[in-house]
Amino acid sequence: MDGQKLKPDKKPLIKIIIKQRYLILMVLPFIIWAVIFKYLPLWGWLMAFQDYKPRAGMGMLDYPFVGLKHFITLFKDPMFYNVMRNTLGMSFMQLFIGFPLPIIFAIMLNEVKNIRYKKFIQTSTYLPHFVSWVIVAGIFTTILSGDGIVNELLLFFNIIKEPVSFFSMPKWFWAICTSAEVWKELGWNSIIFLAAITSIDPTLYEAAKVDGASRLQSIRHITLPGISNTILVILVLEIGWMISIGFEKQYLMGNSLVQDYAKVLDLYVLDYGIKLGRYSFGTAIGIFKSVVSIILLYSANKIAKRWKGQAVI
Amino acid sequence: MLESKKKLLALGMCIILLISLVSGCNKKIEEEKSVQQTGSNKISETPMTFSFWSADTTAGQMDDGFKSPVSQKIKELTGVTLEKDFAVGDPREKLSFMAASGEYTDLVYAVEYSNIVVDAGGFIKLDELIEEYGPNIKKLYGDNLARLKYSEADPSIYFLGLPTVGEVRYEPESGFELQHALLKELGYPKIETLQDYEDAIKTYIEKYPEIDGKPTIGMSVLADDWRIKISVTNPALFATGGPDDGEWYFNKDTGKAQIHLTRPEEKEYFRWLNHMNDIGLLDPESFIQKYDQYQAKIAEGRVLALADSKWNYVDAEQALVAAGIAERGYAQLPLVLDKSYKFADFRPAGYSGGYGVGITTSCKDPIAAIKFLDWMCTDEAQILFRWGIEGEHYDVVDGKRQFNDETFRAWKEDADFATKTGVGVYSWPWPGYGNGALDSNGDYYSPIFKQSIIDTYTEPEKETLAAYGVETWKELYPSEDNFEPTPFGVLWLINIPSDSEATIIMQKYDEITAKRIPAAILADPADFDGLWEIYQEELVDAGIHELEEEFNKLIEGKTKLWSN
Amino acid sequence: MLFRKGHRRKIRLKTRIMDGLIMLILLLIVIVTIYPFLNVLAISLNDANDTIKGGIHIFPRVFTLRNYKEVFKDPILITAFINSVIRTVLGAGFGIISTMMVAYVLSRRDFFARKFIANLFAITMYISGGMIPEFLLIKQLGMINSFSVYIVPGILGIYYIYIVRSFIDGLPSALQEAACIDGANDIQIFTRVILPLCKPVMATIGLYYAVSHWNSWFDTYLFNSGESSLTTLQYELMKVLNNSNTAAAGHMLKMKQNAQNVHAISPQSMRMAITIVATVPILVVYPFVQKYFVKGMTLGAVKD
Repeated sequence: MDGQKLKPDKKPLIKIIIKQRYLILMVLPFIIWAVIFKYLPLWGWLMAFQDYKPRAGMGMLDYPFVGLKHFITLFKDPMFYNVMRNTLGMSFMQLFIGFPLPIIFAIMLNEVKNIRYKKFIQTSTYLPHFVSWVIVAGIFTTILSGDGIVNELLLFFNIIKEPVSFFSMPKWFWAICTSAEVWKELGWNSIIFLAAITSIDPTLYEAAKVDGASRLQSIRHITLPGISNTILVILVLEIGWMISIGFEKQYLMGNSLVQDYAKVLDLYVLDYGIKLGRYSFGTAIGIFKSVVSIILLYSANKIAKRWKGQAVI
Repeated sequence: MLESKKKLLALGMCIILLISLVSGCNKKIEEEKSVQQTGSNKISETPMTFSFWSADTTAGQMDDGFKSPVSQKIKELTGVTLEKDFAVGDPREKLSFMAASGEYTDLVYAVEYSNIVVDAGGFIKLDELIEEYGPNIKKLYGDNLARLKYSEADPSIYFLGLPTVGEVRYEPESGFELQHALLKELGYPKIETLQDYEDAIKTYIEKYPEIDGKPTIGMSVLADDWRIKISVTNPALFATGGPDDGEWYFNKDTGKAQIHLTRPEEKEYFRWLNHMNDIGLLDPESFIQKYDQYQAKIAEGRVLALADSKWNYVDAEQALVAAGIAERGYAQLPLVLDKSYKFADFRPAGYSGGYGVGITTSCKDPIAAIKFLDWMCTDEAQILFRWGIEGEHYDVVDGKRQFNDETFRAWKEDADFATKTGVGVYSWPWPGYGNGALDSNGDYYSPIFKQSIIDTYTEPEKETLAAYGVETWKELYPSEDNFEPTPFGVLWLINIPSDSEATIIMQKYDEITAKRIPAAILADPADFDGLWEIYQEELVDAGIHELEEEFNKLIEGKTKLWSN
Repeated sequence: MLFRKGHRRKIRLKTRIMDGLIMLILLLIVIVTIYPFLNVLAISLNDANDTIKGGIHIFPRVFTLRNYKEVFKDPILITAFINSVIRTVLGAGFGIISTMMVAYVLSRRDFFARKFIANLFAITMYISGGMIPEFLLIKQLGMINSFSVYIVPGILGIYYIYIVRSFIDGLPSALQEAACIDGANDIQIFTRVILPLCKPVMATIGLYYAVSHWNSWFDTYLFNSGESSLTTLQYELMKVLNNSNTAAAGHMLKMKQNAQNVHAISPQSMRMAITIVATVPILVVYPFVQKYFVKGMTLGAVKD
């Protein structure tokens, strides 16, 4: 009774809807869209609990129900754990190194006064994004090969005595993949941060300068906080995607010697799911991935909430 | 005023969105498909269109879009227009979608994934259609028609097999390769065993540690993805007398097949390869290089020796010929581990059927479709597909077909010859005779036969052949009569059903092999035996014997199927 | 007096060194990142047979336009190009508007269903029913062989909603409140206050949407490959590529049969030419988008 008195009068739902009708109008079509295109197809998850093989004329419910069989197969496979290790390991490395770099790059680029240089640098750094992985992988394998340019430079500066065969060293594979990813996406990923920096009120910088702040201090106290919202959002979403690292670069740059470190989850799905026609198995892994992703997402979200005071989602 | 306009705009957009969501903004265009049949005439008077989808990703580049003279002639003679579409990326994806939705193109060629369509009930059974409307199909395939049956469980015919009927092989497919320049330098010595091979490489590389300023590479192999089978594991089988049955070796004494890499003889092959690596004659990058890099090395002329199938390095070889260093091209030699083995490249397997074009349940007029396919089996069509149009592409000289000069030059040199003329576009995968097959006049169905092949040899190639006293590479190899034909075709064409444990074991086997074999080759010779043991044990743990059992059952089934 | 001058000079020197250092690092990054593209360009202009030998860096060794001629062989590329342009413009346009609307609504703390809808959208990024159900859905909606399949299923990039929302959250709330007091309704706040302030982020996500539409080919392949008037540029380009890594057995059989056949242009050269053809339009458009990333332009304008 007492608790209720402290609360303000709760408006009846109808009144709220009428008041916020424009907001509802703006968002309703897209909710419908999301339900149709994103949630409706989830009936396909049923496949993971059946022995599914595409067959026209058979309804979804006609397939034999096998319960958790495919999940058990998945968790019983020793390769699965190796694959998870590789996936999470590479994701961590990529996040740790590949996430801050575009931010630092955007900040550095922002410091460039000459607009022409700025534009030129921006344009050239986003170009690798458009080059497909097939080509980038080819370039990387050439550069890091025995007579490639990296070895040439290392020999020239006497850092090593003999050419290093990077691709035959399994432990280096993760670093190579991360480097390739950074190389390809640094410029492109920095665009959003550049745009965010642009939105910061320039008078803040002017005021700081008058107060005698150094460049680094401005960055620390104005730029970074100014784009912190964006940084946090992207970070949290990226953490949610950690398990879906993709497979292209691992597939293209891997070889028989580094196999143990190159197999990631998406590659595993390709080899043991789709390639072998095991749709149910593939779907089961898909569900597993979704569950893990959502757990990761909401954990990251909670931490963000505690730290910044407001949740990202 | 402005306000309400904006409101209207927002509202309007939402409505448009909803409408388009619901109606789909269809721009469906009905295909022109008349369902007329013209009695007993095999040529339809009213124009018909068949849609065709091919899982062959490489064919799209060579396709003519049905615009070439040959395609136009097809339309003229039969009234049929073909709409051709090709797979992009992994064909299994599109096939799965077609299977799941039950909507296919009229005709489908699904390479080794035909099971996706068959299992989904997408192909119609052709047995009766062939019986009633396919006299030419029967004539072309002859006794081989039995080989088109799908499986023991389901002995129907679902597709018309590949155009290799009556094929005569003029060239070896695989072997061990040595550069012409190397053989010439050494005076064309007798090279019959791997020891000879090793010695030859050693001698030459000591003399010429560099070629064109870059280090000479003795022997290079390729382990990139599935090509590891071609360049690394198959040679072990061949050098120990095994014919190309993919991963299998059929033991005639026991009547059973085994995964060939479990044979102790092949352990010795890899021991030899380990030795090659130990003395520095094996390319250290063998197991990390990609196909591009492998080809680049070959094209530079730096690789003295290979253990490969011709079609795997032919592009690179053509590049070096174009670059003017044809002497760096390769001789194909049937080398063996020791003389007790015979290189079995030419083991006859008979017609293997394999895969082919099938008619799907989406085809509105399957009778017309089978009649069209039947027409394709006529001599008229076959000659049109392989030789083109008389007078335009070829002439009959002394009773034998011959390309005219312009066509011949284009055939050899133009990359888009097939696209422009249409000659060769239908030579695969539509039903047809293989190279070397003769028609009733004793003339070739195909422009590829012994002499035409010899005509393509480079000068250094001819020199080498002459030095060994032969005209073609085939003559160096043990000929067909050294071997018994198999009653089940080639073993690698036996399909393992996709939902069996066997496919999973097969995948694991591939991975274990890709990991262990290179490791064994690169290791210290003292460790070789131990590593080999580990490899064999891992295979057993992964279920290799179960796989073999399953597979042998499939072989039995196929043999029964084909002997009917 | 003297002290201040020296102090200022010190600061100026420090600034100069920092500037120089930054420029140096950026320059290094530029060299390293521009290389793959120049490499692609060089190979695309190099004769295919020569390219196989490797060793091409940023200049073609044996110049030729043959690779491009191969790519442009087919007149259908014109249709494909037009379709791609229409799709990109429509897709980016709808994408921007829809993203802005949803992001705005979700940025409103007082919106009653905020949490629920935010979660609704967020989850979609990590779940998928699988390709087959999605395909069947499209089929059931009658969108096979239609242009709408390019726009409608992918109209919203959920990821961008959250990015935009983070932007809107960063805007001073005073502006919104002021407009509210002035009697503006939600739509007016949206169009008059939010949109003008969000030009940089609108440009960014517009770019992202545009690139995504420009580059997509798989949907063309899956849904529209039977209707050539609906083809898109990337799909046509993909078709030209030789992909011999799948269907190994079928490939091997054919190679054995047709070994005689002269080989087409090396896939590598084709890939390079295709990459250039697909990328150049974006390069052309980008400078127009770039101006939104120049500091302070937009905010200054709004203040007036």
